[in-house]
Amino acid sequence: MRLTDLLGVEVIDQEGRSAGQVHDVRLVQDGPLVGGFGASLRVAGLVVGGRGIGARLGYQRRKVRGPWLVKLLFHWLSRDGRYVEWDRVQTVQPDRILISVPIGDLSRPETPESG
Amino acid sequence: MAGRVLDAGLHLLDRQLVDRDGRLAGKVDDLELTIPDGGGPPLVTAILAGPGALGRRIGGRLGAWVEAVANRLRSGEDRRPSRISFAVVKRIGSAIELSAPKAELETDRLEAWTRDHIIAHLPGAGDAPD
Repeated sequence: MRLTDLLGVEVIDQEGRSAGQVHDVRLVQDGPLVGGFGASLRVAGLVVGGRGIGARLGYQRRKVRGPWLVKLLFHWLSRDGRYVEWDRVQTVQPDRILISVPIGDLSRPETPESG
Repeated sequence: MAGRVLDAGLHLLDRQLVDRDGRLAGKVDDLELTIPDGGGPPLVTAILAGPGALGRRIGGRLGAWVEAVANRLRSGEDRRPSRISFAVVKRIGSAIELSAPKAELETDRLEAWTRDHIIAHLPGAGDAPD
């Protein structure tokens, strides 16, 4: 599987509702050791939503600094952003990703900045 | 201990690759994700670079054409994007620093092939400075 097999794919819950498309894939460096890199990067979850520009520029992260007006604008643009933990992903198909959690139960994609 | 958190698209895609000696070695066009033998979440096992990987990101007919041209320039088992194992990744910053020299990376294959089979045959190619 490739990263681009996930990016842009629509995410659907068990009731057939769309949570939007995958805008990014969150990774955590806590996997098995690999060469000189240390712990490998593990797929932790999917950042999904109807609009992606704020997420792609990092404005969904609380600690990202920027002009307040720009932050406000991107916060509004990404207001429907959601985060899906990888263990809630059931199947990955070429045109859709099925998840086991209702869209209403998904959290916002904000996380503490450590990247 | 909680590990470092990165967003793949934001922090890895399109980042410059820099080899052991500080030379530019391509860009991150895609990532290889592998589900471990025992199951569980996928792990990032390699960086994919070059036109073979980029074509899929472009999408549509143009992307298919880019991928086809990249494949045409190679043959057999080489018909896949250049793959750089995460074992040679040293550091992820504004660029991706690698612990291997550029000549040992697969990203160098297409460049070397183009140099030897196309550029070298152009009139005046021998006059170019190294």
